Amino acid sequence: MKNKTFRKVEPYIWILPSIILMAVFILIPIIFVFRMALSEVSRAGIIRGFAGFENFTKVMSNPAFKMVLRNTIVWTIAVVVLSTLLGFILALILNNEFRGRKIARAIMVFPWATTLVIQASAWKFIIDTDYGTLNTLLLRLGIIDHAVNWTPTAGAYFAWEIACGIFVTIPFVTFCVLSGLQSIDTTYYEAATVDGASYWQQLFQITLPLVRSSLTVSTVLNIIYVFNSFPIIWTITKGDPANHTDTLVTYLYKLAFYNGKQGQAAAVSVIGFMILLICASVYMVYTLRKGDE
Amino acid sequence: MKKFVALFLTLALMCGLVACGSGSGGSSDGGSDSKDEGGSDGKVSLNVIAAQYGQNTTSWWEGFVKDFTAEYPDIDLKVEVESWNDISTVVNTRISNNDAPDILNIDVFASYQADGLLLPAKDYVSDEVYNKLYPAFLEQSDVDGTVWAIPDLASARALYYNADILEAANAKVPTTWDELIEACEAIKAYDSSIYPWGIDMTTDEGQAAFAYYTWNNGGGFVDKDGNWTLNSDENVEAIEFAIKMVNDGYTNTDPANNTRYDLQDMFGAGKIAMMIGPNSIPQYVADGGYSVNYEVAPIPTNGGNPSVSAGVMDRFMCFDNDYSDAEMEAIKTFFDFFYEDARYSEWVLMEGFLPATTTGGEIIAKEDESMASWVDIVGSCNFYPTAKTEWDDVKQGVINVEQQALLGGNVKELLDGLQAEIAE
Amino acid sequence: MAKERSPKRIILRVLLYVVVIIVCIVTLYPYFAMFCTALKSRAEIFSINGTILPIKAVWSNFIDIWKRAPMANYMLNSIMIAGGSTIIAMLCGIPAAYALARMKFKGQTVFLGFVIVSQMFAPVVLLVGIYKVMSILSLTNSILGLVFINAAFNQAFTIWLLRGTFMGISPEMEQAATIDGCNRIQGMTKVLLPVAAPGIVTTLIFIFINAWNEYTVALCLISASEREPLTVGINVFNGYNMIEWQYLFAASLFAIVPVVILFMGIEKNLVSGLASGGVKG
Repeated sequence: MKNKTFRKVEPYIWILPSIILMAVFILIPIIFVFRMALSEVSRAGIIRGFAGFENFTKVMSNPAFKMVLRNTIVWTIAVVVLSTLLGFILALILNNEFRGRKIARAIMVFPWATTLVIQASAWKFIIDTDYGTLNTLLLRLGIIDHAVNWTPTAGAYFAWEIACGIFVTIPFVTFCVLSGLQSIDTTYYEAATVDGASYWQQLFQITLPLVRSSLTVSTVLNIIYVFNSFPIIWTITKGDPANHTDTLVTYLYKLAFYNGKQGQAAAVSVIGFMILLICASVYMVYTLRKGDE
Repeated sequence: MKKFVALFLTLALMCGLVACGSGSGGSSDGGSDSKDEGGSDGKVSLNVIAAQYGQNTTSWWEGFVKDFTAEYPDIDLKVEVESWNDISTVVNTRISNNDAPDILNIDVFASYQADGLLLPAKDYVSDEVYNKLYPAFLEQSDVDGTVWAIPDLASARALYYNADILEAANAKVPTTWDELIEACEAIKAYDSSIYPWGIDMTTDEGQAAFAYYTWNNGGGFVDKDGNWTLNSDENVEAIEFAIKMVNDGYTNTDPANNTRYDLQDMFGAGKIAMMIGPNSIPQYVADGGYSVNYEVAPIPTNGGNPSVSAGVMDRFMCFDNDYSDAEMEAIKTFFDFFYEDARYSEWVLMEGFLPATTTGGEIIAKEDESMASWVDIVGSCNFYPTAKTEWDDVKQGVINVEQQALLGGNVKELLDGLQAEIAE
Repeated sequence: MAKERSPKRIILRVLLYVVVIIVCIVTLYPYFAMFCTALKSRAEIFSINGTILPIKAVWSNFIDIWKRAPMANYMLNSIMIAGGSTIIAMLCGIPAAYALARMKFKGQTVFLGFVIVSQMFAPVVLLVGIYKVMSILSLTNSILGLVFINAAFNQAFTIWLLRGTFMGISPEMEQAATIDGCNRIQGMTKVLLPVAAPGIVTTLIFIFINAWNEYTVALCLISASEREPLTVGINVFNGYNMIEWQYLFAASLFAIVPVVILFMGIEKNLVSGLASGGVKG
């Protein structure tokens, strides 16, 4: 009898520490964000009273908001899709045994092990028209004969930012997939080779299904992290010119700390949250169901 | 055994968390409690957040705290130095949690004042110190007849030009906008890889460009009565002129992303021939190890208007944290100590700024001749209207207008839109 | 059969090396640029006719940063924060992931969803609330506070990845161990965890790196400079009047070292576990 009740309660004991940790340090702050989004907040950040949905309507009526939203979606999709694809391929490569694999893997950690602010500063330094090292390199190698303006338009800046985003995200995907690949039993492949399956058949019929769980995790979390990524865009352009390279997070940061509109900033983050919530649930329902079949 | 260790640690953590949560739950204002406790053991604590001006700021404040504590052992002074990128994030987070610092050193004060968070300057500054401060500076922190913040230092802007390039290009130092265009053409013809003119319209400091051009065209942010006049004809003309310079290829390629530092470095390296910059450029150039041969001149103007220098001023302010008499006394002591002439001039010179006190000005002008002319300039220059609460919006607004215009927007329409939004 | 494939194998092998080398070069290029910049004097960084390598290498830049800022102190703080966060995140995350993978209980999906939702706000917007919680717990201005925050923010990844890893491992071995008289915890620590090493190592690296790089929360929470982590501390080189790129980059290069050492140390576990072979072409 006692044993039975314990069995029922046991799982909850196992997850309790994790729940407490997240509830105290994340859930409570999240509640504060909601409260702020629905409040009238003074410039210095003091809550002055209930404002209903005023912050939301103000944010939505700003013409820049549409562009910022579009940028955010382009940014998220481009970075997540490309880094997942490249990271996956890289993981397949690094999973082979070859001389120097240890070093190659260690090098892959570099972009991940560098603070994003510094990473982005380095990129800014590389692509700068006037003193950038990329121009210097190409000039010295004789590939170009005069300095190239790598960022003539806002779109070009955004493309570079996306490239930087992909660069720093790849290691994350690679190591997620790598950990999945490592736990695949080699006998699967041996059997498949005996059956005459080609490399591609093996890839799609054995590898992909087996790493899907780690790929799903990395993709879902990646969507969230990239969506909320702040330092790259902030360091390289601060959203300039005129919001053309802003995403929701850089936009709300400016709202909160440059324009003194913390209520509206909170509203922007709630809108972002809703978008993420919808996307993530759709994706998870889809992949989890597929996984259960 | 390991299993027990793991389980034990997990449980200990849980208990710890729960205990922490309930233990201090009773005193919900955890942050501000410590201040009162500080008073009970005979020591008064004083929390200061200061802006980081440069390499030497942190160590200067460390020395300050050491000297101060040696002289006033009963006051527990803590100074936290924050970089300009982050200081408002830190301060606003604290304020939202009713945990404001006692003294803050930053550029703006109006939004704190509007929330009733500040004390009037007269309450925490002794008369002796107050009377030393330039009245023109104090006026900048005046809202409805009360001064809410006191200046800690200032800087002023002027035209810097690379004398070698101008001479080689046979260009003369421009005093008007027409001459400026002529000089740019001459430099362009001499060496097309040099940018004749530096412009910064970034989120960092784009409002400065707005000031340089509008003030020297008889316009500006506000009229004499302090009403916003962002879309005046003078302003439209001024911004159109600046944008045209960019479009004609006389400037650095990317004004929306080249910050003042980028420009200063390019100026030092001889890539930019002329730029409007702060009085700290000589130190910047020297520290950077550049060997540029430069001169200073007044900012070029248009339409016969007198040349106006742009002044930037930072402040100290004191938050109203329900001080006891002892604490109030400690704050006064702090300011007396800070504005002692010798210490104060060291503070100002440390990063190459200009003094905000008359006595400091005299000392500095005596020591360094090149500073003397700057001390004169700063007494007569224009300042941003930072005492108005809309300033944050105006600042971001004019930067946005400049960047939209760079992308091809119509200056008049953009400024009309901004004026309408601000006047709302 | 093996003979027939060997020319193809050689080509594949060469291709593999070419790709790996290109990827490594591209990855290292920003670091090469940073390294060269760190060795230059300021005037040389911005000079018109820039060179790839410094004309006159200023090695003292790498020494100066240790004099100009308490780098060792910052580094120690960062190690404590990252290490502490990793330990706590693992201690809370492993049991949760284990329960999700091996037990069936009500609210399982709700919990998994909650874990994901917890990640959906950028820390920047949570600052005000985090500060409030910390001041209630008297954890502002403490390294312990940062340890908890980082551990909490890394729960999602820890739980999701480890859950997947555990589910991919057949429970038979643990069951066998249980019959031999082990209880659940023993079954987990002695049988499951060693087999799940690749997943665990990946998670460890992930948490450590994230905590190592965390900036925003540390910035707002820590007010005493002697408790600042490296990310916040190196702001000394980022002044109002001047950004000292050479120092900033030199300091950042030092900041990578501990992470890479940690990685090299535990990298071999990425290959151990059940399988050590790879995809064979």
